Amino acid sequence: MPAARRRWRIASWAPLIVLVLLCGIITLINPNFLTFGNLVRISQAAMIPLVLGMGATFIILMGSIDLSVEGGLTLSAVILSMLVINGANENAFGLFGVLIVLLVGAGVGFTNGVIHVRLKIPSFMVTLGMWFVGVGAANALLGGMAIRINDPMIRGLAIERFLGFPWGVWVALGCLLVALVIQNYTRLGRYIYALGGGEELAALSGIPVGRVRILAFTLAGVFYAVGGVLAAAQLGLGNAQIGTGRLFTTITAVVVGGTALSGGQGSVLQTLVGVLIVVVLANGMVLMGVPPSVQIGVQGLMIIAAVALSIDRKRMRIVK
Amino acid sequence: MANKFISSPLGVQIKRRDLLKGAGVLGAASVFPAIITRRAFAADKPTVVNSIRSLSNPYHATWNKGGAAFAKSVGADYVTLVTEGNSEKGIADIKAILAKTGGNCVINVDPNDSPDARPIVEAAKAAGAYVVTQWNKPADLHPWDFDPNYVAHISFSGVPYGKAMAETLIKKIGGKGGIVALGGIESNVPAIERKKGLEEALAANPDVKLLDYQVANWSATEALEKTNAWLTQFGDQINAIWAANDDMALAAVEALRADGRAGKVAVTGIDGIQLAVEAIQKGELAGTVAWDPYWQGGMGLSIGYQAKTGGFDPSKEPKDHREFYGKGVIITADNANAFYEENIASEPKMDWNDIWGRVTGQIQY
Repeated sequence: MPAARRRWRIASWAPLIVLVLLCGIITLINPNFLTFGNLVRISQAAMIPLVLGMGATFIILMGSIDLSVEGGLTLSAVILSMLVINGANENAFGLFGVLIVLLVGAGVGFTNGVIHVRLKIPSFMVTLGMWFVGVGAANALLGGMAIRINDPMIRGLAIERFLGFPWGVWVALGCLLVALVIQNYTRLGRYIYALGGGEELAALSGIPVGRVRILAFTLAGVFYAVGGVLAAAQLGLGNAQIGTGRLFTTITAVVVGGTALSGGQGSVLQTLVGVLIVVVLANGMVLMGVPPSVQIGVQGLMIIAAVALSIDRKRMRIVK
Repeated sequence: MANKFISSPLGVQIKRRDLLKGAGVLGAASVFPAIITRRAFAADKPTVVNSIRSLSNPYHATWNKGGAAFAKSVGADYVTLVTEGNSEKGIADIKAILAKTGGNCVINVDPNDSPDARPIVEAAKAAGAYVVTQWNKPADLHPWDFDPNYVAHISFSGVPYGKAMAETLIKKIGGKGGIVALGGIESNVPAIERKKGLEEALAANPDVKLLDYQVANWSATEALEKTNAWLTQFGDQINAIWAANDDMALAAVEALRADGRAGKVAVTGIDGIQLAVEAIQKGELAGTVAWDPYWQGGMGLSIGYQAKTGGFDPSKEPKDHREFYGKGVIITADNANAFYEENIASEPKMDWNDIWGRVTGQIQY
């Protein structure tokens, strides 16, 4: 069906059009928007949502949801702050500490997946629980305190630059590349799409559904851990509130980018566009002088508009 | 079959009735020891009690330390009650300690929510105990309506401290330049008060321009993003950043650092958390205000204890001793080292007899 194909393509370009329009409008009102300095600042604001969005995209592509973003991120950031050179203890594990943190993230994701698949509990409930478990564990580790990170390598992710951009931005781009490869060139990527398109069919054609789900959640957990490392690097500390508000931005970015919550449709590149829309909008509202009390409302309208433009109504019979 | 029987409505009813019976027995049992303890404690020193939200945040943990230090100074028994954010638990625990001590106690409470203060005060009055409340109480509940048991209510006004921080910034930038401000959640009373203080300071300094005011909801992440956008919009016009709490202030410092402007823009916070005090010592932050929970935890008890043991008669005290604003400690580069040594590195030293030393006026509603 070539006609249907073409329509789908236009719909998938909609978020990019929204992004370009948005940049145009902001530039008209405040030309400072298009300066290199602001480009760097937008990339800094986008790096963490982008990495988190990579993880969440795979989960949403399967038709599941992952609410444990803040749990994984907070726990990772707090553990990192305790392992690298910091203001509270004598540890100095450096890169090895980062590796441990990635393993912790994988562990959180793996737990999500196993509980979800083996105990047959909906991903919504499992990950909601893991969200609180993660934040709770971080709280228990710190007792409400904050730990300052003094490790020059970690701080360098936010402060040191390469080709004008902070290292953290390059790390985020690296994550995007990894996610792209997984999505397009691995069996896991193809299976994830297959599960989202129709799980029963996928199971009948011999795809190990349970294993794919557990792997996808584990992968997402690793991305959240990277997000935690970047968040800790950016603020120079680890505390139990470091993840607050990240879940909302992440899910928003994925959905605004055009990935369907019902699964099967979307891609990590679309999430990149979604992240940029959300970040540019937040940056632009300050630049355009939108009053603080109105900003959150504008954000909400923007989400509805972006999704309204990007969904393909022809293929949908039922909307819940 | 067995499962079915247990989950039937009949089964549940029986269970409930058993529970009620059990509760009745427990209730009767708890009355009995209460009578005994009353005799045992009658001639003894009053027990001193702090009721606070939790021990897992540094603020209330320090509060608890202050309470323990006061109790030790007078040789009284010390009890900490923790609400864990649950008003019912908070009130029930206080009633239990009133019964246990037979009213021979002094309670210093940070009520979980404003309405909780009324049942707490009423229960204390009925039992003959003395109570001091802090931060939260209904506006129409006054200590002088419960003489002498409701000794005092202590709170802190954000206005003078929001103003003091703004003045610190203005002084630092030489009386003229551009300021941006990061506010807390718009509907929070402390956010409103601190912003009002900022506005008062700006009104008195026409050469200082408020370039923009953004709401960052007390959040470091949001503060970082807003500061980044400001750097694009205003660039070198920004001479100072005023933040309504320390978390946002420290995030602003990080945004400046990532932009290569560390140290070129003055920043202040409020709350006096440890990282903020350390940042002042390092010269990254220009100032903050510490509420001194150590004082709150100990002095609240001291005021109640002295009233209970006849040190003064609450009903004869003026109204600005019954409902008063306490004093925050303004920390800048001048006193950051001393503050750190006295309050963070070691146990603070307090004169617990100086009960009205930090009164800064009657609370206005």
